[in-house]
Amino acid sequence: MSTRNSAGLSADDHELAGEYVLGTLDAARRRAVQARLADEPALQAAVLAWEERLLPLTELAEPATPSTHLWWRIERSLDALTTPAPRPRPAAPPWWRNWHSLPLWRALAAGGFATAAVLASVLVMREMEPPPATRFMVVLVAPDDKAPGWVVQAGTSSRIELIPLGSVEVPADKALQFWTKADGWSGPVSLGLVTPGQRLDVPAGKLPALQPNQLFELTLEPRTGSPTGKPTGPIRFVGRAVKVM
Amino acid sequence: MPSSSADFDYEATLAACARGERSALQALYAQEGGRLLGVVQRIVRERALAEDIVHDACVNIWTRAAAFDPTRGSARGWIYSVARHLALNAVRDGQREVAVDEDTAATLDARAALEAWHDMADAFAWQASAGRIAHCLEQLEPVRRNCVLHAYVDGFSHGEIARRLDAPLGTVKAWIKRSLAALRECMT
Repeated sequence: MSTRNSAGLSADDHELAGEYVLGTLDAARRRAVQARLADEPALQAAVLAWEERLLPLTELAEPATPSTHLWWRIERSLDALTTPAPRPRPAAPPWWRNWHSLPLWRALAAGGFATAAVLASVLVMREMEPPPATRFMVVLVAPDDKAPGWVVQAGTSSRIELIPLGSVEVPADKALQFWTKADGWSGPVSLGLVTPGQRLDVPAGKLPALQPNQLFELTLEPRTGSPTGKPTGPIRFVGRAVKVM
Repeated sequence: MPSSSADFDYEATLAACARGERSALQALYAQEGGRLLGVVQRIVRERALAEDIVHDACVNIWTRAAAFDPTRGSARGWIYSVARHLALNAVRDGQREVAVDEDTAATLDARAALEAWHDMADAFAWQASAGRIAHCLEQLEPVRRNCVLHAYVDGFSHGEIARRLDAPLGTVKAWIKRSLAALRECMT
């Protein structure tokens, strides 16, 4: 099979291909091999041969049961690939969280005012600067005192930025987890753990395009993140996406 | 319950994905999702990240299915290579390995190497592995076999294997080099 094409390869390159598949190369050497693969069919054949040789060893890892929302996430991503702006599906019952909670909606309303204030300053700045790439902005406020804590910016580029407006106290055994949910999604999707006071860059490649009114929130979770893949702790900051014209 | 991998036509499934048949990817996910998640989770050691990677792998499989060439390898192997590749990138990009003077380390820790070498216990139930690999793994000394398996199954770096086996880094690197050479010779 593939080995026939790698016949002329040096023993060193066979071994390099083996370590690449085995996974023992560090990040720099992995990237170096990846860069070579595009132009070197013999090395590519050696890598494929190693993939085939070692494949039976995948059986040594215990299978795990994916959470039910994983396939939905995959489907949403496929939708986003085919449709640039996916139409919201009929809203699913909000089984994971009581969306009718009054403090939550109060916080969102306050977030709206805070967003308006930030947008006003953005508009002033726009007078002086070339048009920024930002298309969506969210101000995340605390549900209890409505204090703005974070700003989310999403541009046309494929990333979302979470920017702290101040420092936040988090218990030592807890962490802040960043979530988003658009209308029609079956549940919130984790965007990762957040270090208080630090900016977080989220590659949005794995997310469908941002929608107006899309919900963003930070919840208090166990130090390694929510064990269920869904928010389990209290909301510390929450807000909705507003399109920046 | 997924059927056995022998009864599932991976190649036809990838071809259907390439034609844009969503049901084919769903069937593949039902067949391999749990095993893929198991393989990835073992490497990245974190559930949420593992699910993110399986998500990315499925999207990758969907978008790249047309590029899969059945004359160059098995469809199932290709699917796993996509997922493992993403998982390994995630753990390697996230870590900073400390560079060690390999020669010095190897000399100073020759004794530790000797002790690790005599650790004959198998860390994996590799004997059940299908095909030629089991026969060829059997030819390796247990400690070298464990190196290969910790790397492939656990996604351990050289440094992590050295710590796990309590052996010098340079020695572990040499063991893996020789094990790969022996496996290639045995399996060609």
